[in-house]
Amino acid sequence: MFSVMVTILTPLTAAFFFFHSPAQGPNHLPVLTTFIFIPILAAFVTLLFSEKYTRWINLIFSAAQLGIAFKVFLLYQTAVGGFQFTEELPWINGLGIHYALGVDGISVPMMILIASVYLAGILVSWNLSLRKKEFAIFFSLMVAGAAGAYLSLDLFFFFLFYELDILPMYLLIGIWGSGRKEYAAMKLSLYLLVGSAFLLIGFLAMVFTSSIHTFDIRILGDLAQTGFSPQFQHTWFPLLAVGFGILLALFPFHTWSPDGYASAPTAASMMNAGVLKTLGGYGLLRIALPALQGGAKEWLPFFAILAVINLLYASLVALKQKDIKYVVAYSSVAHCGYLVLGICAFQITGLNGSVVQMFSQGILTAFAFGLVGLIENRTNTRQWDQLGGLAALTPVIGGLFMAATMANVGLPGFSSFVAEFMVFLGSYQSGFHGGFTIFKILFPLAATTIVVGAIYYLRMIQNVFFGPVKVPVDQESIKDGTFIEILPLVLLLALSLLVGLYPKPWVDMINSSVEPLIDHIGGFR
Amino acid sequence: MNQIGAFLPELLLIGTAIFVLLVELFFDFENKKNAINGLAFLGVLGSLFSLPCLGNFCCSSSCSLGPLPVQAFNGFLKTDELALFFKTIILLATLYTLLASFRYFESHNIRHRSEFLAILLFSAAGASSLTSAQEIITLYVSLETLSISSFLLAAFMKKDRASNEAGMKYLLLGVFSSALLLFGFSYLYGLTGTTVIAEIGKSLSAQPVSSIEVFAVILVVAGLAFKISLAPFHMWTPDVYEGAPTPVTAYLSIASKSAGFAAFVRLFWVGLSAPSIAPIWIGLFSILAALSMILGNLEALPQTNIKRLLGYSSIAQAGYLSVGFMVGGQLGITALLFYLFVYLFANMGVFLTATIVSSKIGSEQIVDYAGLWKRSPFLGVVLMVGLLSLAGLPPFAGFVGKWYLFSAAISKGYIWLVVIGVIFSVVSLYYYLQVVRRALFLEPKDVSPIEIGPYEKLALGVSVVVIILLGFWPTVMLQAAQSAASSLF
Repeated sequence: MFSVMVTILTPLTAAFFFFHSPAQGPNHLPVLTTFIFIPILAAFVTLLFSEKYTRWINLIFSAAQLGIAFKVFLLYQTAVGGFQFTEELPWINGLGIHYALGVDGISVPMMILIASVYLAGILVSWNLSLRKKEFAIFFSLMVAGAAGAYLSLDLFFFFLFYELDILPMYLLIGIWGSGRKEYAAMKLSLYLLVGSAFLLIGFLAMVFTSSIHTFDIRILGDLAQTGFSPQFQHTWFPLLAVGFGILLALFPFHTWSPDGYASAPTAASMMNAGVLKTLGGYGLLRIALPALQGGAKEWLPFFAILAVINLLYASLVALKQKDIKYVVAYSSVAHCGYLVLGICAFQITGLNGSVVQMFSQGILTAFAFGLVGLIENRTNTRQWDQLGGLAALTPVIGGLFMAATMANVGLPGFSSFVAEFMVFLGSYQSGFHGGFTIFKILFPLAATTIVVGAIYYLRMIQNVFFGPVKVPVDQESIKDGTFIEILPLVLLLALSLLVGLYPKPWVDMINSSVEPLIDHIGGFR
Repeated sequence: MNQIGAFLPELLLIGTAIFVLLVELFFDFENKKNAINGLAFLGVLGSLFSLPCLGNFCCSSSCSLGPLPVQAFNGFLKTDELALFFKTIILLATLYTLLASFRYFESHNIRHRSEFLAILLFSAAGASSLTSAQEIITLYVSLETLSISSFLLAAFMKKDRASNEAGMKYLLLGVFSSALLLFGFSYLYGLTGTTVIAEIGKSLSAQPVSSIEVFAVILVVAGLAFKISLAPFHMWTPDVYEGAPTPVTAYLSIASKSAGFAAFVRLFWVGLSAPSIAPIWIGLFSILAALSMILGNLEALPQTNIKRLLGYSSIAQAGYLSVGFMVGGQLGITALLFYLFVYLFANMGVFLTATIVSSKIGSEQIVDYAGLWKRSPFLGVVLMVGLLSLAGLPPFAGFVGKWYLFSAAISKGYIWLVVIGVIFSVVSLYYYLQVVRRALFLEPKDVSPIEIGPYEKLALGVSVVVIILLGFWPTVMLQAAQSAASSLF
């Protein structure tokens, strides 16, 4: 009954908003503001209505958001490029702060990522029983924060929306989490706040050192050559990069993330690991690179080394884990290494690959966390040694887990293949064709982690899904995934395959914004 | 020319206070308690509405009380936009304090209510006139009206040892600091031959800086820093905050502190802003601000009593506020005023919640806040919003306040101060979250719901709405703060 309603309602709402939602033009509602405020509205409506309707309300709102995301994706004019759908309102006059939103080829795919993870998160928590109203409210607010941060063109709003996420995340982990949840929640919040402390100071220093005193990201980016002295760039780029690195869980600032993800409820892990973490990379690319390009050129090889250490270290640690959620968590930390590596290559293919990786990593990490949630739900454990032969009991989940393994390893056909291939190509070219020489060493080191990734995922699947059946609970009680449980995962997988099998429209769109960026910062071709 | 607008708010407060005392003395009727409460409340409300209005803000410029600035007593009292802003904060804080006191009266069965209310109103009158004082004797008299009433309020629970200790400590140190302040004032008078702040400013900028002048400035800083509990003059704060009745603690932490800042702004940015002397006290304040942010936040970490915790937190907040004050200029004072306005609602929300909760559970320990969300979800939300706004987390207004404050500081080149401020904001989040964690995560031992009266609900609701609204849309309030700051710069 429910499954039929969900199947009908979701595409219908999405389609309705796809066709009827506001688009550009003076007589329409601003589409990006609508995109950000849909989850906030969802939170309000949830608050007003009875708990019975909570999940339906959120389902409708998230489907609507997905519809709008696809609409923007199709309406974005790749040939024109640059920021489109822009909105601007003066906000705080004394400081020159504007409410400015806009999307370019880099952020449009992220809109689809956010909306689909939102929908998936709502479906994954469909059968939640504890304080579900509050859960939906906090989760929606978290989505709103993420959406706002990706679409903001003003440092103040970027920061505000980003920090808007910390409180819901703290509460989601602390109340609905598992294991050492209070410790993990506090650790995550404090780490992220330290990261944003770096950013806050860096942003303010940038704004008040420049002659214009504006918080507009576009103007600050254009200032680069004239606005900031080499000395300033040399000092402040690494501070900003460390700030973004903490958000991204870059080695050695990564320790908050595995603990946080392992303790968080499934939907929160999906949102955090999939969408929020990549915000670090996005900020690096959107704010730090264009504005402080001189400093970037000096410091990026150093951060490339950190990225490769991150890759190797997280992969090796993942090998040692016995808890499947920790394996997925460390694997997501490792995958962020590719993202940073691509940016640090300072080269067009690598940068394109990084952006694809942001999207792909988000989708696939959310997918993997969703699967772990299903297994934990059924067996009440996440430990390898207590599990075995699950494929016989739950063939569908087993099949999806196989897909997750293949995607994680980066087999052709999945989005991860496109992303990782481009990142490696970029770092190869940076090392061998007039870019940073250090990549001659880093490139092969990074490539080995693909093998390590295959090992830990295959070992996990072998232990959990194959061999003699072993579960800590009654075997009869274990059922395969229901329709509603499987639906969000299939949706995410389909997105990954869509990008993996036909990457052209996505890569073209991303490239339309990366190319001007590379020209602007004087990157390698 | 005397314009009644310049002292009407104070007149109303004092009149109400005397009336409350007379009613208590000469009348006896049913519901007298409620009548007295209502009388005091109406008095403060009337005083709030009698504030001369900004021509562009609430009503047209053809206001019956005349446009700003209004002045009286040869200009010794002058209400400009700045004074108006401070008065609004002080009177709003007094309103919240009254609400909390009504609850406190019931739970602690206090007999001498009218005295308490009258003293509170006298104190508010002192604080209010302090903000418009243009002359150091007037300023000092107002300050003493505020302080002496506060000593009495802190020690109001006669039978309670902690309250007596609080009152005594506050009295001794308070009188000592007043003496220092007066000593400093006497030097300033000796140097310039005038007690009018603006004249002092003119006279001092005409003469070279002398060691006596520096000494006088240090004395004044020390005397006033006590009132706003800046480190290292903060030792009294946690003890007094813990021992005093909770509504009084709330009053001290907001109204008294705002009045102190009003005195600081007026005295230093008008009277001592000469380029020769300004760098000395600005340097002094940057050290005091940094110390307060560091000590206040660090010492708050191990606290187990909610009032002590808030005491240390208010020391830290005084540090943040002083950053805005010492940066000065349009940006700095705007930041100070906006931050103070947000601080008012955040702190009052938390203190009112604390009063309600402890009147029910009879404990001020943070561990006893466990499971508040189950006993009263509304109070849980208020507590979370208030505390996290103090910590400066979005989407609450404290975030905008801190952003503005740090922007102002960085624009004048105080990066080191901003670094300290930001780092210790992170530290502060830890102890604020400890309270939030208990209130929202844990299961209660006793699940009986906590009742909230309609007025309290309204007041708490207003504070939450204001904090969230200003977090997203601070524009109008910042404009008001800007126009207030522009009456000095």
